[in-house]
Amino acid sequence: MSTKPNVLVLTGFGLNCDLETAYAFELAGAAATRAHINTVIAGDVSLDDFQILAFGGGFSWGDDHGAGVIQALRLKTNIGDRLLDFVAAQKLIVGICNGFQTLVNLGLLPGIDGDYTRRSVALTYNDCGNFRDQWVRTRINPDSPCIFTRGIDALDLPVRHGEGKFYAEDETLQALKDNGQIPMQYAMPDGRPAAGAFPHNPNGSLADIAGICDPTGRIFGLMPHPEAYNHVTNHPDWTRQAEKQKRAGRIDRSKMGAGIRIFENAVTYLGC
Amino acid sequence: MPQRIEVTLKEQLLDAEGQSLCVKAKNYFDIDLHRVRTIHIVTIDADLTPDQTETIRTEIFTNPVTQVSSLRPLDVDFDWIIWVGFRPGVRDNPGATAVEAVEDLLRSPLKPGEAIYTSKRYCLKGNGISRRDAEKIAGELLANDIIQQWAVYDRSQWDPATGIGFIIPKVILDHHPEVATLSIDSDDTLTRLSEERSLSLNPNDIPTIRSYFLKPEVQRQRRQVSLSDPTDVELEYLSQARSDHCNHNTFGGRFTYRDLESGKTETIDSLFKTYIQGPTLELKARKEWVVSVLWDNAGVGRFDRDHNYVITGETHNSPSNMEAYGGAITGIVGIYRDPMGTGKGSRLIMGSYGYCVGPRDYDGDLQPRLHPKRLLDGVIEGVRDGGNKSGIPTPFGQVMFHPGYLGKCLVFVTALGIMPAEINGEPSDQKTILPGDLAVMCGGRVGKDGIHGVTASSATFSANTPAGHVQIGDPYTQKKMHDFLIDARDEGLIRFITDNGGGGLSSSVGESALFSNGCDIQLDKVPLKYDGLDQWEIWISESQERMTVAIDPDHLHRFMALSRQHEVESTVIGTYTDSGKIHITYNGATCAYVDLDLLTSAFPQWEFEAVWRPPALRGLTEPVVGVPEDFAGLILDMLARPNVCSKEWVCRQYDHEVQGTSVIKPLVGAARDVPSDAAVIRPVLTSERGLVFSQALIPMYSAIDAYHMTTCTIDEAVRRAIAVGGDPDHLGGVDNFCWPSVQYDADRNPDGKHKAAGLVRSCRALKTMCMAYGIPLLSGKDSMYVDGHLPGRYGESHKVSALETLQFSVAGVIEDVGQCLTMDAKVPGDLVYVVGLTRNELGGSEYYELFGELGLNVPVVDPDGFAVCYRLMAEAVRKGLLASCHGIYRGGLAVHLALVAMAGETGLAVNLKRVPSDGIDRDDTLLFSESAGRFIVTVAPENRDAFDRLMAGQTAACVGRVTRTPQLKIDGMHGKCIAELTVEQMKSAWKGPFGDLI
Repeated sequence: MSTKPNVLVLTGFGLNCDLETAYAFELAGAAATRAHINTVIAGDVSLDDFQILAFGGGFSWGDDHGAGVIQALRLKTNIGDRLLDFVAAQKLIVGICNGFQTLVNLGLLPGIDGDYTRRSVALTYNDCGNFRDQWVRTRINPDSPCIFTRGIDALDLPVRHGEGKFYAEDETLQALKDNGQIPMQYAMPDGRPAAGAFPHNPNGSLADIAGICDPTGRIFGLMPHPEAYNHVTNHPDWTRQAEKQKRAGRIDRSKMGAGIRIFENAVTYLGC
Repeated sequence: MPQRIEVTLKEQLLDAEGQSLCVKAKNYFDIDLHRVRTIHIVTIDADLTPDQTETIRTEIFTNPVTQVSSLRPLDVDFDWIIWVGFRPGVRDNPGATAVEAVEDLLRSPLKPGEAIYTSKRYCLKGNGISRRDAEKIAGELLANDIIQQWAVYDRSQWDPATGIGFIIPKVILDHHPEVATLSIDSDDTLTRLSEERSLSLNPNDIPTIRSYFLKPEVQRQRRQVSLSDPTDVELEYLSQARSDHCNHNTFGGRFTYRDLESGKTETIDSLFKTYIQGPTLELKARKEWVVSVLWDNAGVGRFDRDHNYVITGETHNSPSNMEAYGGAITGIVGIYRDPMGTGKGSRLIMGSYGYCVGPRDYDGDLQPRLHPKRLLDGVIEGVRDGGNKSGIPTPFGQVMFHPGYLGKCLVFVTALGIMPAEINGEPSDQKTILPGDLAVMCGGRVGKDGIHGVTASSATFSANTPAGHVQIGDPYTQKKMHDFLIDARDEGLIRFITDNGGGGLSSSVGESALFSNGCDIQLDKVPLKYDGLDQWEIWISESQERMTVAIDPDHLHRFMALSRQHEVESTVIGTYTDSGKIHITYNGATCAYVDLDLLTSAFPQWEFEAVWRPPALRGLTEPVVGVPEDFAGLILDMLARPNVCSKEWVCRQYDHEVQGTSVIKPLVGAARDVPSDAAVIRPVLTSERGLVFSQALIPMYSAIDAYHMTTCTIDEAVRRAIAVGGDPDHLGGVDNFCWPSVQYDADRNPDGKHKAAGLVRSCRALKTMCMAYGIPLLSGKDSMYVDGHLPGRYGESHKVSALETLQFSVAGVIEDVGQCLTMDAKVPGDLVYVVGLTRNELGGSEYYELFGELGLNVPVVDPDGFAVCYRLMAEAVRKGLLASCHGIYRGGLAVHLALVAMAGETGLAVNLKRVPSDGIDRDDTLLFSESAGRFIVTVAPENRDAFDRLMAGQTAACVGRVTRTPQLKIDGMHGKCIAELTVEQMKSAWKGPFGDLI
């Protein structure tokens, strides 16, 4: 028997980051299964068999009526109770980009006061008015209960979205801050908060929010794509870094990208 | 009773869409809008209870955190309201996904004929906005008449209770499908019918078609299936199959080529066979990694022992020229179906783009259908949505401006896929069909889309006739189909697969039937978007997002189950046979019965006359321009030229990281803002191998000689790949020709013979280059007739022909992506080398263009010499001797030194005296000549000896150093410093034209 934790990565209906998300979990030491949303709804694939559920990036249902909206509706209508059971069983959920949008539309995030059904935050159209692909620097809040960001203080990751602006009413925002539910924020290259400055905060997110977690830290949603930093050569500066290391006589043989640490934290948490 | 839901963002939230409309109105028309709020309208044409509608409103269409909505018109302040909705029959993607959501929520399907339509209304606020302003914004920014309808309301016209009313763009054809029999009693009759029905039959083909249907044996066989004269289904089929688009009659034609300098005349029997097929087969025999070329939807090369990669490219010019967004999205989504339909099917791993348009700031007298600015915006957005929503990275692309593209723009799209080397133990690149296999159509439904391309006239629109000829690609439907077909392939369920593109079923079924030698197709089984299509329309409609698959009947059950799981529509539409016939029925009655081999026999070859008058005989000379004094100002102006300056705004809209494979990105350097020479991806995540990809477009040289345009373009594409670490022994090419009409006509195409000669010369150059560089042509396409007739100031029209254009793409396998490099200077103190010889070759250059000159001395490629140099450069990369490498392309040495410095955010100190040159004594010639075969590289001092040794015998020289102060300092040939420019100054100029665009 394998002691690896089992991860379910959803596919279908315009989702598109399933291969690299599954690969990232495999690199981190998990056993990943990609399964079509309809096979989960039909019960051919059972959530009971998994310890981690991954909602990946993509354009589910074309994102035509708000990103992640119809995916959330499909899941809530068909397996909403099973998802709540999954949460209640203290398992882990990660939502990346379209997955994050889906989690907030399902109400699984932010889950303030343990209410995992209420939509109280949103990811809406970027202030810049367009889809945008760029790398961002994120700073990690060490006081957050978030499982996925443990031991990380800063991380460079790509963002690729048109609807990534985090929005919530003041009261909700305050609660998120108070509960340490803001583990990941956009930062300047030197690590200071981006304070809304474009393009470092690429979408106009309130409080520079790049990712939030539920109060337990077991559910994490983020706009940047850690699975797309699975190899050192994914980083935009890698050729510059490699040349400098070569001059300094250092040879770093590790090929793994730093984004994998997010996934490793999940595997470590599950004690595997 | 229809219902309508209006949705908008809460007042306190920024309306980014409204904001960008304000910016565009200002930039395009100098109209000052104070504020725009966007309202999304969902019109539900279905029999629902008020409770159901209310549930739909709150559960699907309203985000409680950000939006407000109502079943009544929302009260949003305005001075003007603009409403924009689709015309009937235009693909409404959000409408379709809304149906899925509603059916899911209500747990019951909508009834036949019920549908959901989406539209938008914009509430404009602004002082002094006139009706004309509002109509301009509606008609020229928001809506395109071909696919959309719009209305403008002022305060007095707007009824807050009824709002826009209920506009239902439903297709109602009210037509009983009928097969027509067409008389062929004489060639004249058939010619007349061809014109009446827009069949575009070539006059030379008409006797062949008639003689077939008049053969006694054919007539006897037709009587047995109750047919006499040809039916419209048959003639439409022949028209499609014989079109230049499907049959490549130009490239297969016979050219008589006369050179006026030598006086010699020669005949070329098929450009394709002579210059493309011949060399490719020869190279395939030499290159073991070439897996499959020349027959399938795309070419196949070996990636590693376990994987093959697939590549092809094409253009979507005419539709994009009419409806930029729709044309471009249909183009990119369409090209993605080619790798899906190659071998037993491949998974898409990347796409690229190339746009050739008129000047973005054009303000002359000619009136193109869409202004280049608007056209380019639409094309960029179309390819963006098509690629991003397909989950396929777009890490490379180019934009080119030239007035020749005012007549018709060019939209190049390229697609790459990957597949396992074997499926169930059989080679993945091979496929066939056995008699008895089922013909299955998967994906979208069939409507009046794309029938007869763009010949339909917009004047014939009524409120409920479909906007037939313009399509909008649907990446969502196609992505579902892609995922389904990959699963089906991996389960071994697919015997044969091909895409439905030009010609629709007539082409996909007609061509696949050759594998079994026949088919029986029941057109009544083909699922339709709406009733009332004639049989011939079903047969040739180009409705998108469809694949045709042949499956073993034993696999039907599993194939359909998988299709249902993915929510993809699949329908058995017939059976493949070995009867030698295409046999089509509709409700049991035969409507077509044609011998399959008709198309491969008997049709006459098209003929072209080509006359080449060399540039000097045409009177081209070098201009007389004195040496400039202000080199700094000149370099800054060169950097701000539209074809040189930063186009970051385009790259950033394209997801180039999805799939997690990015190695060399489209923008590189310290600030990640300078375009890379080429892209590299790592398509198999568990492997260190990479795929390098690059493209080049230098059509300006065609104004002098299309031969040298071609050699330079291919050289540039190859050099780009070498610059990032490509392996010269593993490069495959894709040729995409876009040529103005080459058929001479004294009145309509008086320079046709010259353009035909250019095409012959270009093909010759293609062969020469491919053989010298060892590049098999994995795929290629041609698009002729790149001409437009534009109205002028006085109501006259002008024929505007595009430059003779070749886009050349290169792809290749890189053993270890860790060896790749980027073009940015990296470490102060490094040595700057120029590799390759600079000659007095300013003809057709950006420098001459700046002064409105053309010149004569077009760059000449030395293919055999360059090939040796590129092998050594590749070795230098493998040995890790280079810190950066960048080719010298459009704009010459000055522009590309500036790019290397800007990318590194370092300085470069360069002495022109040390730049290897031949016969040049002027600084401007050295700085701006566009001689091919050159690189700028930076080398760490400790690698200097090794690099010098490696390049011994080659033209390469150390010309300066990388400096800490971010400044480009150029010492002239005669000793004194001629230009000092800071990186900041250069970036400011280079980002000047488009830097504000996002």
